[in-house]
Amino acid sequence: MNKLLLNVSELTTYYKTRLNEKIYAVDRVTFALESGKIIGIAGESGCGKSTLALSLMGFYFPPLYYNSGSILINDIDIMKIKYASLRKLFLGKEIAYIPQSAMNALNPTKKIFKFIRDIMKGHDHKLPTSKIKDIAINRFRTLNLPERVLYSFPNELSGGMKQRVVIAISTILNPKILIADEPTSALDVSSQRIVLDLLKDLMNKNFVQSIIFITHELPILKSISTDIMIMYAGEIIEKGKVNDVIFDPIHPYSKALMGAIIVPEYGMKNQKLTAIQGTPPNLKNKLTGCRFAKRCKYVIPECTKTDIQDKYFKTRPYKCIFDYTKLKEINKYEK
Amino acid sequence: MNSIVKKVSNFINKRAYLKYLLKKSVWYIITFIFAVTLNFVLPRLIEGDPVSRLIAKMTAGTGSDDFKAIRDNFAKEFGLDKPIIIQYFIYWKNLFSGNLGTSFSMYPREVSNILSSAVPWSVALMLPAVIIGWLIGNILGAISAYIKGIFDRILLPISLIFSSAPFYAFSIIFLYIFALKLKWFPTGGGYSITMLPNFSFDFVVSLIQHYTLPFLSIVVVTIGGQAIGMREMSIYELNSDYVLYSKLSGIKDRKIVRYVFKNAMLPQITGLALSLGTIVGGSLITEIVFNYPGIGTTIFTAIRNFDYPLISGSTLLITIFVLLANFSIDLIYAFIDPRIKSAQMEEV
Amino acid sequence: MKTNIIILLKSPKFIIGLLIIMIITGFILSYPIINKASPIEMVGMSFEEPSSKHILGTDNFGADVLLKLAYGTRTSVYIGLLAGIFATILGLIIGLFSGYLGGIIDNILNSLTNIFIVIPPIIVLILISVSLEKRSTLIIAIIIGVTSWPWTARAIRAQTSSLRHRDHVNIAKISGYTTPKIILFEILPYIASYVFMAFIIQTAAGILSEAAISMLGLAPENSITLGLMLNWALAFDAINVEAWWAFLPPTAIITFLTLSLYLMNAGMDEIFNPKIRS
Repeated sequence: MNKLLLNVSELTTYYKTRLNEKIYAVDRVTFALESGKIIGIAGESGCGKSTLALSLMGFYFPPLYYNSGSILINDIDIMKIKYASLRKLFLGKEIAYIPQSAMNALNPTKKIFKFIRDIMKGHDHKLPTSKIKDIAINRFRTLNLPERVLYSFPNELSGGMKQRVVIAISTILNPKILIADEPTSALDVSSQRIVLDLLKDLMNKNFVQSIIFITHELPILKSISTDIMIMYAGEIIEKGKVNDVIFDPIHPYSKALMGAIIVPEYGMKNQKLTAIQGTPPNLKNKLTGCRFAKRCKYVIPECTKTDIQDKYFKTRPYKCIFDYTKLKEINKYEK
Repeated sequence: MNSIVKKVSNFINKRAYLKYLLKKSVWYIITFIFAVTLNFVLPRLIEGDPVSRLIAKMTAGTGSDDFKAIRDNFAKEFGLDKPIIIQYFIYWKNLFSGNLGTSFSMYPREVSNILSSAVPWSVALMLPAVIIGWLIGNILGAISAYIKGIFDRILLPISLIFSSAPFYAFSIIFLYIFALKLKWFPTGGGYSITMLPNFSFDFVVSLIQHYTLPFLSIVVVTIGGQAIGMREMSIYELNSDYVLYSKLSGIKDRKIVRYVFKNAMLPQITGLALSLGTIVGGSLITEIVFNYPGIGTTIFTAIRNFDYPLISGSTLLITIFVLLANFSIDLIYAFIDPRIKSAQMEEV
Repeated sequence: MKTNIIILLKSPKFIIGLLIIMIITGFILSYPIINKASPIEMVGMSFEEPSSKHILGTDNFGADVLLKLAYGTRTSVYIGLLAGIFATILGLIIGLFSGYLGGIIDNILNSLTNIFIVIPPIIVLILISVSLEKRSTLIIAIIIGVTSWPWTARAIRAQTSSLRHRDHVNIAKISGYTTPKIILFEILPYIASYVFMAFIIQTAAGILSEAAISMLGLAPENSITLGLMLNWALAFDAINVEAWWAFLPPTAIITFLTLSLYLMNAGMDEIFNPKIRS
């Protein structure tokens, strides 16, 4: 039986600009995460996926602000507790984060081990350093990371190594949820492979129980995740099992997105690559209705009249004015 | 096992450090040669032989021949009758034998002798003032970066005023308020003119009384400049990726503040090295305002008396001091900042 | 660009700086028109107290301090601006070449910059000024400019070398643009704001350097500068006779001039350098 680890509902967060405008980069996002799952979040750049990753940590600082919604971990809404207990009981311990640019994620004047020590002491100040050392050495060995790395400064490490070290550090406390924000985007292909294997290894060894993986590269999602959420202009517009979403996307945007990407898979050879016309809407403006309407081939006037509610096809939610069968019909007709 | 790993990495670091040290030394030797050459060339580049010209200036109007003996002495000392390249080598030879010539205005006192009695005063004034100003400035800058709002709004403008005021502005204002109006401190000099230097309690009190105002005016301006630099550096660090990552990893705020403070402070050491030239220049004038018996006052008097050998000796000495200070800062910095250790050491 | 200017005008630092500069400029332009006397004319005894006749009293020569202040500020600003222009141009050229060309030229220029950065500029200033036969304001401005370029050169070099491998520069290279053209159209526009900020700082530094060197007794000849006013005030013991009007006003003007320039720079820095904005 899969355990429910994270339950996010109606989470809305915004950026404040210099001119005091609010940009809702994450808008009423709702989803749940169970143990054993690796959820991939995909979307164009600027769609809010990295902001969602940050927002899930329950810790906000300017220019990002919390607006509304709840984030439940262990049935506790982390938006309702004090920062001190959030830090001590959740950050790094229940929910951990791997930043987009591991290159600069480590304090350049601290040796790796001392950084690990600061993290572990931050959650249990009574833990003796010798114990921490044992844990760190053990963990690095298990993950096939050289021990000397612990005594190095960050810029003595290569890019790929730094990324792996950051992953090892983030998971040192065995968090149940790991949020990885484009951990492979700055790496070459072979380092990407190593990092993905490391993440899988963490799941297999039960060091983490679930992963939220953010990327704009669908092929990577295909190889690592169990589920996919598609994000567009701050909203989750579709969610489902990885193969369902990739090979049978429901939402016109998902469809267009899949059409713009090559997935090395049987039967994809005949597919033509098509670019999506237009640009995402400006989130500064208050938007009603479907946010993809302006770029959508199937748009009808009703699309922008009222907000679109989630529809379900079996267990798969999606946000479109048309239902599944209607969309299939239009699609067939088009071909 | 552990210790072996450590030793190996230490050894690698040590070798890199030695390499860095060697490269830096070569650099500073080149800079030193360059600086000495500037000291020799600049005055000659413009109008030929500076000694004759200055003597001409001094004797102008008097029509006196009294200076002929002095002039001959200098001609011999500087090898003025020889070709310029030979003069250059004589200059170097004199420099290494500690011979900076004989003063015009205090003839026949040796320049090196005059300077050696002035240097301790300047060093004792400047060194503590700069270090204390640097420390206080950095602490204030870090605080104002961290605690924004009202604190920042007050501290920043004050630091801006402090650092944009010329050094001597505070000297003059302090002198006027504390020495003349309030009469808390003497108006100038290194110690009371009614005393002879000795180790008595009264003399030390007099020393401190004369020291306070020039010391404070250097400290105040140094604080201003350093606080602004530190504030910007800290804000930059506070916005950096590692702070976000540390916070999201659940590290205590107090620890993260310490990270930021350390990382922002280290480059400030280089900042100090680079602004040393300005600080030294400013302190020279502070000395003049307080008539403090250091190098600044010596140069001031030398310029008024067209005492060329004394001017040249002073500038040379100041240059050497600044170079030495910079060199030491560079070495210490590389030793304590790992960002330099691996990155810059390779390329320097 | 337009929005940048709008934001700039919203920055209180920039506005205050600009305001101070405008007030000082207004003073040095208008006062000599109101008071047509010669600034070196003896209009009273030495160190006369401020009165309705002489608003800021008289100096050691018995000249009107306020009028002298107007002329002195004018010369000091002129020297500062000229020095700023020289330093910026020199630093810009050296920094651009060093940063853009890279390789051996960069090595040489960068080494030169590093050497000059550690040698205190006041020393070079003293050495040159002492040996000059004549010290005109122009010459003083030039030597101040010539001794203060390394800072600008270093900043411009860093900016340029980071731009050097950007896509638009590479495209220009492939398209066969000449080096001067690339520097002019693909590099300069991107560092223009930096250059202007460097110029502001150099101008402030120029004003301070003039004051410093004049106080040492090496002021430009046949002129009135703020530094020279201070030099005479000190030489004639204005402090000990408590003639505050002889030394406080020039000090205040120097402070406000440099303060306003720094403020403008800080305001611009916040706009063009978003990292510092908080």
